[in-house]
Amino acid sequence: MGMIQICPLVLFLSVLGVLTFTHGDTSMDSSCLQRIKSQLVDPEGVLRNWSSGIDICSWNGLTCSEDLTHVVGLNLSGSGLSGIISPEFSCLVSLQILDLSSNYLTGPIPPELGKLQNLKELYLYSNFLSGKISAELGLLKKLQVLRVGNNMLTGEITPHLGNLTDLRVLGLAFSLLNGSIPVEIGNLKSLKILNLQQNSFSGLIPGEISSCLELQVFSAAGNMLEGEIPASIGKLESLEILHLANNTLSGSIPIELGSLSNLKYLNLLGNGLNGKIPVELNQLSMLETLDLSNNKLSGKINILNSRLRNLESLVLSDNFLTGGIPSDLCVSNSNLQKVFLSLNNLSGTFPSELLNCSSLQQLDLSNNGFYGQLPSGLDNLRNLTDLVLNNNSFSGKLPSEIGNMSSLKGLYLFHNSLTGRIPVEIGKLQRLTVLYLYENQLSGSIPRELTNCSSLMEIDLFGNHFTGSIPATIGKLKHLVFLQLRQNDLSGPIPPCLGYCKKLQKLALADNRLSGSLPPTFRFLTELSVVTLYNNSFEGPLPESLFLLKNLSIINFSHNRFSGSIFPLSGSSTLIVLDLTNNSFSGGIPTRLAESKNLTRLRLGHNHLTGTIPSEFGQLIELNFLDLSFNNLTGEVIQELSNCNQLEHLLLNDNRLTGTVPSWLGRFQGLGELDLSSNDFHGTVPAELGSCSKLLKLSLHSNNLSGWIPPEIGNLTCLNVLDLQRNNLTGPIPSTVQQCKKLYELRLSENFLTGMIPSELGKLTELQVILDLSRNQLSGEIPSSLGKLMKLERLNLSFNQLQGEVPPSLGRLTSLQMLNLSNNLLQGQVPSTFSGFPLSSFVGNKDLCGAPLVSCSESVGSERKWLSDNEVAAIIVAIVFTSTVICLVLIYMMLRIWFDWRKVSVSSSDSGGLESNREEMQWFYGEDNEKKNGDYWRVNSLTSVQPQEK
Amino acid sequence: MAPTYLLSFLAFLLTVSPTISTNSEGNALHALRTRLLDPTNVLQSWDPTLVNPCTWFHVTCDSNNHVIRLDLGNSNISGTLGPELGGLKHLQYLELYKNNIQGEIPEELGKLKNLVSMDLYGNKFEGEIPKSFAKLKSLKFLRLNNNKLTGSIPRELTTLSNLKVFDVSNNDLCGTIPIDGPFSSFPIQSFENNNRLNGPELQGLASYDFGC
Repeated sequence: MGMIQICPLVLFLSVLGVLTFTHGDTSMDSSCLQRIKSQLVDPEGVLRNWSSGIDICSWNGLTCSEDLTHVVGLNLSGSGLSGIISPEFSCLVSLQILDLSSNYLTGPIPPELGKLQNLKELYLYSNFLSGKISAELGLLKKLQVLRVGNNMLTGEITPHLGNLTDLRVLGLAFSLLNGSIPVEIGNLKSLKILNLQQNSFSGLIPGEISSCLELQVFSAAGNMLEGEIPASIGKLESLEILHLANNTLSGSIPIELGSLSNLKYLNLLGNGLNGKIPVELNQLSMLETLDLSNNKLSGKINILNSRLRNLESLVLSDNFLTGGIPSDLCVSNSNLQKVFLSLNNLSGTFPSELLNCSSLQQLDLSNNGFYGQLPSGLDNLRNLTDLVLNNNSFSGKLPSEIGNMSSLKGLYLFHNSLTGRIPVEIGKLQRLTVLYLYENQLSGSIPRELTNCSSLMEIDLFGNHFTGSIPATIGKLKHLVFLQLRQNDLSGPIPPCLGYCKKLQKLALADNRLSGSLPPTFRFLTELSVVTLYNNSFEGPLPESLFLLKNLSIINFSHNRFSGSIFPLSGSSTLIVLDLTNNSFSGGIPTRLAESKNLTRLRLGHNHLTGTIPSEFGQLIELNFLDLSFNNLTGEVIQELSNCNQLEHLLLNDNRLTGTVPSWLGRFQGLGELDLSSNDFHGTVPAELGSCSKLLKLSLHSNNLSGWIPPEIGNLTCLNVLDLQRNNLTGPIPSTVQQCKKLYELRLSENFLTGMIPSELGKLTELQVILDLSRNQLSGEIPSSLGKLMKLERLNLSFNQLQGEVPPSLGRLTSLQMLNLSNNLLQGQVPSTFSGFPLSSFVGNKDLCGAPLVSCSESVGSERKWLSDNEVAAIIVAIVFTSTVICLVLIYMMLRIWFDWRKVSVSSSDSGGLESNREEMQWFYGEDNEKKNGDYWRVNSLTSVQPQEK
Repeated sequence: MAPTYLLSFLAFLLTVSPTISTNSEGNALHALRTRLLDPTNVLQSWDPTLVNPCTWFHVTCDSNNHVIRLDLGNSNISGTLGPELGGLKHLQYLELYKNNIQGEIPEELGKLKNLVSMDLYGNKFEGEIPKSFAKLKSLKFLRLNNNKLTGSIPRELTTLSNLKVFDVSNNDLCGTIPIDGPFSSFPIQSFENNNRLNGPELQGLASYDFGC
């Protein structure tokens, strides 16, 4: 009774109070709002009418109470305001709703807002507010909505927010908040929406959240939450949205989630969840979206649309799921629109039951182990826009019914084992924009009907067996951006109408048998950026109008028969790669190429180019690969090239270049391959080359280089191949070469080197392909250390003045297959293991004996002149005759090889700089092994040598 | 909700975007690279977007652009080898000596029909010598010394009639040393420092698995 009596009194007193302060209240608000205004920057003038002459209740954004005595609402959302939130807001004591969202406000949320005891809704989201969420906000006892997300707020969630027991909406998403989710969240019994998405929250999801029984939306996606999903979440019966994607949650999916009978959206993607998908999820009859992708889930798919009648999206991609697709994954009359099951270990044939799923719009079964034929009933999926079946083992033909799938926009069937032709019915697909059939076994011609698919933007038929010509109607595809027909058996010319596909950006026709010349209509392809035509039989000069194509960035026309000038390809100044290797281009190298400042790869090798290297190339400071080999270039290696210090491959071999080997090459710290061989360079091997510490291949052979081999060569510790043969080098072999520990090929033959073979060569234990010191003037004994070259397969020391005995240690060279010690001054017994080598390996020495030569006991007893002059003459005649025949045969074979090589026209310079030894390569690495039975090669296998020894 | 969907659809579009390069040998080498740790960046030039791997450093091709040499000896690399290496059908020289490569030698190396030389010495390979090596009919040089290989020497290797050099010294092999075929001529040094390796076996008397 007392209570009832007191209540009217309190009411009376409060009404009295309000009446007393009524007038003063709005005027106080007025001056307070002026101070607030003074701290805001208002470029759009929304606060223009905030002036004392105007009734406060008509000020923009303000809402007054019904009696016009209090300011109860302030809404300046999306007003373009910047500046700070003034602490003065605290004087608007009657304020119930404050909305400053979607502005450019900076600074902190002032703690003084905690004084707004009547505040029910606070919206500060989408600003640039910083600092922490102050504990004082926990004083706002009446607060129902707090949305401060999408700012730059830092620090932890203050546990004081747990005092806001009336809170319905708490939005803290898209900020920089960290720490764990406070357990006090469980005090918010009225909470309906909790959005913590995209912060840096860590730790566990507190089980206390299960006390928020009103919760309808819980999103904490994009944080660093860990541990298991609390099973108690299953108590949140009102929950409609549960979004925990992209955290580091682990353990299995709690079966209790099956109790969330109102759940519409469940997203757990991008966690570390393992175990099976709980069958209890099938109880979620309201579920519309289920995304469990990118976890470690295993077992079979047991999600049954027959029970999840409302399911629209099913995303289980990127897990370890096994087995097939359950027959009742989708039933008729379902709502299922999206099924994404890619990147699992699923297998089986295409599930025919799925064909009843007429609601299906997108189906992705890619990157699994599905096999068998595609069902002809595919066209039952009449609403399907995207069919993604790539990276499986589907086989058989493409069903012609595919032409009835009139909604189809994307058809992704690449990397399967499909055979047969593309059905002509495909031409009915008017909405088709992407057709990826690459890496299958499809054959036949590309149907002309395909060009009826007028929406097509991307076609990729790479890596099939298509024959015939490119459809002459291809020009109808006005939207075509990407066309790849690479690696098929297409023949005939490029249809001129291709030039009418004016949107084309990437064109890849490489690795076919296409022929003819480029049509002049190419000039219309002004968007063209990438064009690769390599390995075809295109010919003739390039249309001059190609110069108009200003967007070209990657051009590869290598291995064709194009002729004439390169100039039409120099119109673009955005070139990155230009590869014209192995054509018949002639004329000079256009200086305009230097306009493409980003050019990294320029390969013009194996053409008939003349003139000099343009000095403007000094501007190509990004150049990584410069190959001008096998042309008729003249002049010197110009000083300007020294600016191109990013070069890793510099191939100028087989030209007619003159001058000296530039010493500035030593500044190219990344240089890995330098080939200046077969030119007319003179002067010395510059000592500065020793600074190219990454050099792997150095080939300067067949020039007129003279002087000594610089000892600095020993600084090239990465060097694999050193070839200085066929020059005029003099002096000794520098002993520093022993530091080139990775050498597997060393050729110094056909020079005028003198002195002894340094015994240090024995330290080059990785020498393998050859050690060739032949045809020099080396003297002294063969160092026994060469017996340590255990991997050496070929040793040529012939035509020197080496003397003394063959060191017995050489007999341990078990890898040796070719040996030539002939034409020296050697004497004594050859190691017994050499008996398998032919006589020619040893002839022309002073006095060698032992197998295959005469046995040493015989040679001791016999005199020098044990053959009559006539016999000697006969032998000489025989030798001259047979060697002439051999020479003729060799020349014939070399010519054959030369022509074959021009014909086959494969990228010789791609063979990593070994092309200069082409014949030898074939001889040594090559297919025709029988040739090794010729001179200097060991005939007998070791196994057959061994018994002789015993 | 909608943005998530858009993102996942974009991601799926990315995964199906067209491949510009599918040269199998380049892919095999690139797969090798992903298994290796390369602190000194010797594999830096291995750009998988190039038409073929023939301009990659440490890779040598023949005139048909097939990889015939892989030279990564003494390159400070570690990691493991994978089955992809079996895809280098034309490889003649596999030089991976003196590194820190560990794990088993993949049996797929037995697919390298053209292999002349396999130099895996000076690594940390463990497990057994693959029996599949018996298929390497062109093999002349097989150097597996200085590793941690266990098990016995596969008897199948006696059929490698071209084998000139076979070195398994300094491993942990067991059983007996075969004497058939090319094994009749390999010096005893090729088998040194394998504590549990006996032999050479007496033809017909010692069983192949003896002591293993």
